[in-house]
This record gives sequence, structure tokens and C-alpha cells, in this order.
Amino acid sequence: MTAPAGTVLGGELAARRRTLALWCLSLAAVTVLYTSFYPSVGGSKADALLANLPADVVTALGFDDLGTAAGYVSSTVFSLLGAVLTLVCTIGLGAGLVAGAEEDGTLELELAAPVSRSRVYLERLALLWLAAAALATTVVVVLGVLALALDLDLTPGRLAAAGLALALFGGALGTVALGLGAATGRRAVALAGGAALAVLGYVLAYVGPLVDGAGWVRHLSPYDWYIGAEPLATGVDERGGALLVALAVLAGALGLVVFRRRDLLAQR
Amino acid sequence: MDAAVRVRGLVKDYGRTRALHGLDLDVRRGEVLGLLGPNGAGKSTTLRVLLDLLRPTAGSVEVLGRSPQEGGAALRARIGYLPGELALPPRVTAGRHLGHLAALRGDGTAARVPALAERFGLDLRRPLGTLSKGNRQKVGIVQAFAPAPELLVLDEPTSGLDPLLQRELRLLVGEARDAGATVLLSSHALDEVEEVAGRVAMVRAGLVVDVDAVGALRARAGQHVRLEFAAPVDRAAFAGLPGVEEVVVEGAVLTCLLRGTPDALLRAAAPRTVVRWSAQDRELEELFLDLYRGRATPAGTPPAAAVGGPPAGVRP
Repeated sequence: MTAPAGTVLGGELAARRRTLALWCLSLAAVTVLYTSFYPSVGGSKADALLANLPADVVTALGFDDLGTAAGYVSSTVFSLLGAVLTLVCTIGLGAGLVAGAEEDGTLELELAAPVSRSRVYLERLALLWLAAAALATTVVVVLGVLALALDLDLTPGRLAAAGLALALFGGALGTVALGLGAATGRRAVALAGGAALAVLGYVLAYVGPLVDGAGWVRHLSPYDWYIGAEPLATGVDERGGALLVALAVLAGALGLVVFRRRDLLAQR
Repeated sequence: MDAAVRVRGLVKDYGRTRALHGLDLDVRRGEVLGLLGPNGAGKSTTLRVLLDLLRPTAGSVEVLGRSPQEGGAALRARIGYLPGELALPPRVTAGRHLGHLAALRGDGTAARVPALAERFGLDLRRPLGTLSKGNRQKVGIVQAFAPAPELLVLDEPTSGLDPLLQRELRLLVGEARDAGATVLLSSHALDEVEEVAGRVAMVRAGLVVDVDAVGALRARAGQHVRLEFAAPVDRAAFAGLPGVEEVVVEGAVLTCLLRGTPDALLRAAAPRTVVRWSAQDRELEELFLDLYRGRATPAGTPPAAAVGGPPAGVRP
């Protein structure tokens, strides 16, 4: 008899739930910290402050629109530390779930069990996306509560759109790390690949537009797909979301194909 | 279909390194076969191919009548496996991890875990990271035997176990065999295999160089014989006797290596006065060293194929 569906996922979830809860908690703390400053630094005060800075610097920092609640929260929580925390968590998780477990050898007993390689891979991928969804949901729920408490102009629909984008962004880059790790069996490759794509995406999205005639490069950036259309201000960005999903499907499929074919645990 | 494992010409390359050089191996259903060889001989590689962790570079492999890759999860449901280098997640408790591995089986495995754990004195409540090497090995043994599989593949199963638990493991292997299971276990020490295995396959540098029943190997390994006479003897009277090798005479003391029956040796000694005598089984280890040196080549195997250059790390 082979393993019932969800057993691999359940085992990983049980082993990692505490770590995941801590990530959600720290993300909630960061969200609260940033957002609760809005009444004191946001609005017209921020505009006055930024007027002293060169326009290019303001653009490079992503501080174009601090005057509204949506702009402020988007620039701080979603563009900066919230995104960074989400990525560190999902890329780290993606690298650890397959490559990490293979490198430290803990994957061996599971692979020797009556469960296919595809299931070992796909159920871990499912956990990654669950984690991405949990992180994004945390941000959305915390912001929803703060919006009520501080009377911020953030509608539930826009919040959900921004949360969805964050989940797709974290999930997609985490999938890149997981797929790279499953293809190579090396955690370092998975981490480096995921992190490099994230940094490159940031650079392309913010620095590219500053170079004359190179504005188009930002369209290559997963970071731009995530937040370029400002979902917190404008709602769901179908194009950006679709590109992130496409990136995830591509990386996930490549990882699966190689993982099914290659020698496992050969480097031990 | 009386072969539980049938391997023919198995070649396995890791990049440019060839780990297996065309290995042949047959494990009959219901037997306990010991896979014996030094570290790096290719034992673990062979076992991992059976579990479809590694894919053969060339050659054919059948486990319970199916290729490991095609058999997939359904085939692995019939196999219990203990890795040679067991790695366990440190923060999970032994009970939870064994529960997870049992859940992957989806049959009566979980129900058999507590009794096995108790038999080996394994505390299921402790996190795996806090367990000693011996206790971690117990976790490995429990998870391998709990499914009551048709085939047990055990890579160095006694490593890290104290003598009492080694004995318990041998009993467990015997019980599994009595219940109809086939057991393939690897070791680098002969005495570990000797008491539990019916046959032994000797692996060296990626090849099975000899397969025989433990008893036959014992006979072939021979005995160290020491005869002490009342007066000095002539070496010529003993050298060249059938089954007698390595004759050394020092005054009245003769030592030799005896393979086969002692009859000719006894007849040659009988006319003289024998004061003391002793005959000691050679350790199978010594036979193994013979194979390394290229002597005692098993019948039917060309010496060149059986024993090429000296394997890395082993000095004849």
C-alpha cells in the first residue's frame, strides 16, 4: 500500500510549524511597527520631507507616494521589509525542503518509503505555497485590523489584492529555490539562485528606470510583476500575477523533471 | 521467480568515478545474505540502487521481480530499508518521526512500532537530536522492521549498537527470516554477518568476488594447525601433502594452514610422537585478505577479473 495523499506534507508541516509561526509573528510585528507610524509621518508630513531629496533617490527607494495610506503602506510594508521577510522565509524554506533535506540526509527514509518522487516533491512544494499564503494572510489581517483602529483608507478588496500579490511573489521565488535545489541537490545553489533573482529583480525594477532608454528592463523583474502596478492602490494586477505564476510553474516543473530523473543522495 | 534480488552486470558511475564495475548478485527468497566488503567497496551504492535512490549506469536490476524504477512506490511498500548513514531530523521526537514514516506506509506499520521500540529500549518521547548514535540506530531498525516487509535491506545494521543489542538485532533478523522475509544486509566485519547470514557475498572494488554459504567459506578458509613433536621433524615430510599449505617447521614445532580434511596430515604425523596439537578456525577475515591478495581465488572466476589492482585503502 502506498502513502495516503498529504502524508509528506503533513510530516513537513508538523516539523516546521513552529518556525513558520515565528515567521508570521515577526512579519506581523514589522507590519504593525511601520503602519502605526503612518499617522505621525505620513500624509503631508512625508511629502514635505521627501521634497528635500533628489527625485531619483526617492524613486530608487520606492518612496514615490508616501502621502496616502495605501502609498505609505505599499512603500514600507509591501515594498521593503515585509517583502524581504517573506522572501527570506520562502526562499529559505524552498531551499531547505528538498535540497536541504537531501544534503543532511533526512530525505532518505522518505524516499525509501512507498511514496513516489513526484509526491515527495509536489507535497513539499504545496507546503511552500501554504507558507507563502500564511505569510501574506498575516500581513493582510494585521493591516485590516490597523486600518480599522487607525482609520486608514485601505479597503478590504485592495488589501486582498496586495496580499495575493505578496503570496504569489514569495511563492514564486520560493519555488525557484525549491526547483533549483531539487534539480541540483545543493542547498547553496538553491539559496543563491533564489536570492540572486530577488536582488536582480529589485535592481531592475528601481534602478533600470533611472537609466535613459532602459525603462523597459523593469518589465523583466519579478519584483516589478509583484508591486509595479501598486495593487494596494489599484487592485489585482492580472498581468503581474500571471507572470509570477508562470515563473513558478516553469521553475517548479523544471525542478520536478530533473528530480525524478537524477540520482538522489549521491553526494553523501 | 525464486530470486528476491537479481542483479546482473550492474555498473554505476558518479561523474567520472566508477563505483560499481559490473556487479552480479542473487538473493534467494527467504534467505539471509550478507554483503561483505570494506568501506568504499560499493555495498551502499548497490543497496541504494535497489531502493531506486540511484539509477544504474548499466546492467539490470530486479527486486521482487521488478525493476526498482518501474516498481516505484508500490515496490518500495514491500521493502524495509535501513540506510548506512542514518540521518534524522533533530527536533522531532522519535515517536513522531516513526509515526510519520509509518503513516507513509498506510498499513498496520504504526501498530508494530511500540513493541519494537520497547524491545530495543528506545524512548519514543525524546527528540531525535538528543539521542546517542546507538539510540538513533534503534530508530532506524524500528522503522525498517515495523512494516514487516517481504524484503529487508539493511546497510551496516549493527553499527553503533552495543553487543547486547547486536544480539537482539540478530534475533530479529532470524525471526523475520522465519516469517518468510528475505534479508540482505551489508557489513564490513565478518563476525557480524557470520552468525546471522546463510550465505555471504564478498564485494570488493565494485564487484562481487565470491559468493558462498557461510559454512563452505569457513571450510575453505581452513584452520591454523600447530603440531608439537617429541623430536625435531623434517619439513619435507609435510610440505606438499594434500590440503596442507604454508608449512613452517621450527625444530619440533610444525605450523601449517589446513584446508579440507586433516586425514593426510594426521597420517604423516602418526609415525612420530605428537606432544601437543591445536587446530583453530581461521577468521573469515583472513579469507577475505586472501581474496585481496589474489589467492584462494574462487573456482570459475578468472583471477584477473576477480582481483584486479589492490583496492584503495587496503594494503595486502
